[in-house]
Amino acid sequence: MRQPNWMSRRQFMGRTGRAALALPCLPAILAACSKPGSVPTGTTPSVRFLARPDKPVSLPLRGQPIPTDTPIEKGATLFVYNWADYIWKKTISEFEQKFDCRVEYTSFTSLEEALQKITAGAIRPDVYFPGPSYIGRLVYQDMLQPLNHDLIPNMTQNVWTTFWDPGPWYDQGWRYSVPYTVLSTGVAYRRDRVSDEQAAAGGYDLLWDPAYNGKISYYDSMPDAIGMAILRNGGTDVNSGDPKTIDAARDAILELLTGLDGRLTYNGVYVKLPAGEFTVAQAWSGDTVAAQYYLPKGTGTDVLGYWHPQDRPGLVGNDIISIPTSAQSPRLAHEFINFLLDAKVGFENFAYWTGYMPPFTSIDPDKLVAQGVIPKSLSTSVVTQDMMEHGYQLAELSPAAEDLWTSAWDQIKAGA
Amino acid sequence: MPDEELLLKKARRKASPEGAVESGVWYPRWYWPSFAAPATIWIAILFVLAFYVVISVAFGTVDPLFRNPLPVYEPWWWSGATFSDVLSKFVGSDAFFLPAAMRTLIYVAAASVLCLVLGYGVAYYVSRYGGRRKGLFLVLLISPFWISYLMRVYAWQSLLTEDGFINDGLRFLHLIPHPVNWLDGRPTTVILGLVYGYIPYMILPIYGQLDRINQDLLEAGRDLGASPIQTFWRVTLPLSRQAILAGMVIVTLPMFGDYYTNDLLGSTKTAMYGNLIDTTINSPGHGPQAGSLVIILVVLLALPMAYYLRTTKRAVESA
Amino acid sequence: MTDANVDLRVVRRPGPAETPPRSVRTRRTTRWRKDPWRKPRLLGSLTWGYFAWSTLPVIIAVVFSFNNGRSRSSWQGFSMRWWTGDPYNSLFHDPALHDAIFQSLRLSGLTMLLAVPLGTAFAIGLDRWRGRAAAGANFTMLLSFVMPEIILGVALFLLFTNLFKNLVHLGTFAQILGLVTYQVSYPVIIVRARLLSIGKEYEEAAMDLGASPTQSVRRVLLPLLFPAIFASFALVFADSIDDFVTVRYLSSGANTEPLSVKIYSAARASPTPAVNAAATFLLASTLIAIILGIVVYRFVTRGQRSDMATKEFVHFQM
Repeated sequence: MRQPNWMSRRQFMGRTGRAALALPCLPAILAACSKPGSVPTGTTPSVRFLARPDKPVSLPLRGQPIPTDTPIEKGATLFVYNWADYIWKKTISEFEQKFDCRVEYTSFTSLEEALQKITAGAIRPDVYFPGPSYIGRLVYQDMLQPLNHDLIPNMTQNVWTTFWDPGPWYDQGWRYSVPYTVLSTGVAYRRDRVSDEQAAAGGYDLLWDPAYNGKISYYDSMPDAIGMAILRNGGTDVNSGDPKTIDAARDAILELLTGLDGRLTYNGVYVKLPAGEFTVAQAWSGDTVAAQYYLPKGTGTDVLGYWHPQDRPGLVGNDIISIPTSAQSPRLAHEFINFLLDAKVGFENFAYWTGYMPPFTSIDPDKLVAQGVIPKSLSTSVVTQDMMEHGYQLAELSPAAEDLWTSAWDQIKAGA
Repeated sequence: MPDEELLLKKARRKASPEGAVESGVWYPRWYWPSFAAPATIWIAILFVLAFYVVISVAFGTVDPLFRNPLPVYEPWWWSGATFSDVLSKFVGSDAFFLPAAMRTLIYVAAASVLCLVLGYGVAYYVSRYGGRRKGLFLVLLISPFWISYLMRVYAWQSLLTEDGFINDGLRFLHLIPHPVNWLDGRPTTVILGLVYGYIPYMILPIYGQLDRINQDLLEAGRDLGASPIQTFWRVTLPLSRQAILAGMVIVTLPMFGDYYTNDLLGSTKTAMYGNLIDTTINSPGHGPQAGSLVIILVVLLALPMAYYLRTTKRAVESA
Repeated sequence: MTDANVDLRVVRRPGPAETPPRSVRTRRTTRWRKDPWRKPRLLGSLTWGYFAWSTLPVIIAVVFSFNNGRSRSSWQGFSMRWWTGDPYNSLFHDPALHDAIFQSLRLSGLTMLLAVPLGTAFAIGLDRWRGRAAAGANFTMLLSFVMPEIILGVALFLLFTNLFKNLVHLGTFAQILGLVTYQVSYPVIIVRARLLSIGKEYEEAAMDLGASPTQSVRRVLLPLLFPAIFASFALVFADSIDDFVTVRYLSSGANTEPLSVKIYSAARASPTPAVNAAATFLLASTLIAIILGIVVYRFVTRGQRSDMATKEFVHFQM
């Protein structure tokens, strides 16, 4: 007995015919509905140079900075988009009190995630902390606004000259960015399980040592992970587009994760290393210094150690502060940047919370250990101007290289 | 005159297949559909259209300079490049998505079977031997629904840390010599985590069905000489088939998209299909790849879903 | 017991100094095994074991939210520091967690108010509407019920960032749209189940007595559906306050992240007992919502039903 809504052949033909007529209209409607804004409006030059430390780039001025006489927004909420745990809460509340505003701090755990959210328009912050490797893209996409130098006097007063005259290699003339902190990337280790001599002898291979099986941490960040693996394999171009180099780096990381039971973390250094869960970890210098605040009661800071190549260049870098074009309170954002570049504020933020040194002329790197800011055992984590000039820095990749890198990273994350 | 017309109208309504409700009651034809209209429009826009956008993104392109996804809404301009690229990562020579997919299959199968066996046992006991404590049992069975999945897995994670209670207990019982790191990417942990999270969804439908089985049927079986096992196998189990199917669907299908259990209890070594999607959507330039992964999953799940819907429809019609 | 089961041999009770001979002990167990109405010990211990396994971790987590130290696994004394004590990190002082609590309540409240009427209307309409379009709508609704949530989350994310890029910004509005889409199938299923058991006689009787269609729905059908509708409100509230998959993709910053997303991010990083406190808070609000639902339901139906009310309400959770 036929069910009541069984289709007869005629009904079926009629229906498919009508659908075939109607369906093409739908995409046309959809295509018309999607506003032209979904295609990037910025004009790009036919050739765009990728910034490199030895090939500095001056970013074009797209748009105008806000006028100097713009009033400071009152009672506003400042949206800050930054790495997790990267500004001291006390610094933030001091700013809130000084300018009578609220600060909304949203955090990301990787630069790629942040870029994705910003370009998707999901997050519209007032202050954004990208890395130098993405600033070119953001500027050409009209996502960052030029800074008004008159509103940030602390830059020329406090910061290393190389960052404003002539300016950093990724943003000559500091049109869109100021530096937040400088850092180096090396290997942090527990000195109660690894001696300093072993560390110096092992270097990057410390992370690939089977003796630490199951207690290795590596950064869940594509540029740092693959960059260090390239250096470990003996390469010198940390922004390489060579498939062989990238494949070798990928294989090394896979070996670390699957063969040696390593973990990908983003806070493994300052939370889990002091707790003893990890013995060796890929570490940014500041994370290692901040780890002293997470040590369990009774454990001294001399249990933390940090290795960075002394006789040859290593990975260095800096984080930057910028203001997106979508900022609701750009004047307040300028004040926030100026506030962070204040000598006292910046130093306290570094000494009491982040562990990452801001590039201030008022800070003498040789005195930091004596001042007690950096533990003696971590004296190798200090970053000097000399190191910044000669070290390897992660920069923007060409589209072809980025394809290879993301493909390798996909494979790593898929646990293959 | 008017009455006759009304009667004629009623008779005509009775005869027409659509618009009539039952005998003798008159509703305008648009009445019931208007009830269903708001939700239908909602689902049409935010569910069906959303999927069309996913397909458009998956078969669209990526802006070469900035790597934003550019969806292509006209089917005749769809390009299958990314999709076939993703497929090749499953079945090609360099198939590095395949281990994750196989792992997902294995974990889901193992977890579903465990859920079924354990869940059926608990449901059977509660429904038949609950007795005076049935109210208490019912509350205990339903409470996991009111405790969020996240909290339960998080609570479980706290116990599995190296200094957690599980290690303490196992060492106390001398089953392990020193603490084991359960959270460093073990399949066992992830499978047990999945079972822990989803088993309530299995127990409840089965309990509901078993509760409704007439006790007389079981006694009849016994009177006719069947042993307890035979009664179970030939009377109880067939009667609870629909519930088992419902439970399996409610448990297995969402498990395929589960990524948070692995995030909390495992590592990249135990990455599941859901983790592939989650990682992809969070990286710039990966829009089409995420879309392709979603389409593949939907296609694979559509068949069991359609089968389930057909069997429920038949069961409802026969009821 | 029939005569066949009575053992004719004398069975002595063992005295204080003697154990029964082996033959007697095995006979007792064999008798237990042969008894067709025995209580199954294996299944019983399995069930009690399951309940312990199911609830103990949560109880431990709740208890540890009152821990005096940072650890979630080693007890260091009782303190309220993670609830109200610590001026920066405790649940009620950390402004980020503060915002998250309000966002959670806001999202689930609005979702509940949107999803239940939509779903109920849909269920009523679907039950009476015959046709292929109805079957199609029904199929799509059920599809959204069994679909893994990540698929819906990704689909909506792509929708709101591409097609509706200028109509709907990611944030609370988008999160509510997403949550309602995900939750609308719950009331549909619950109300349909109830409708099946009600039947059409009451409305027909009302209309024979002169009520218009709208009146009969409003004054006859809806009151009969009260248990199902209330159960839907409670269920949708409980489910959306715990949701983190969809809202995470559709969030637009820290102020739109509800508590569930904060717990998830913290659990992946370095959780403190403040996260336990947050999870306990969510649990408490869900329980309060359920209990409130039961109380209101009993009050509203006080004339009609007896103490079957609670059992019926609870039955709808299945």
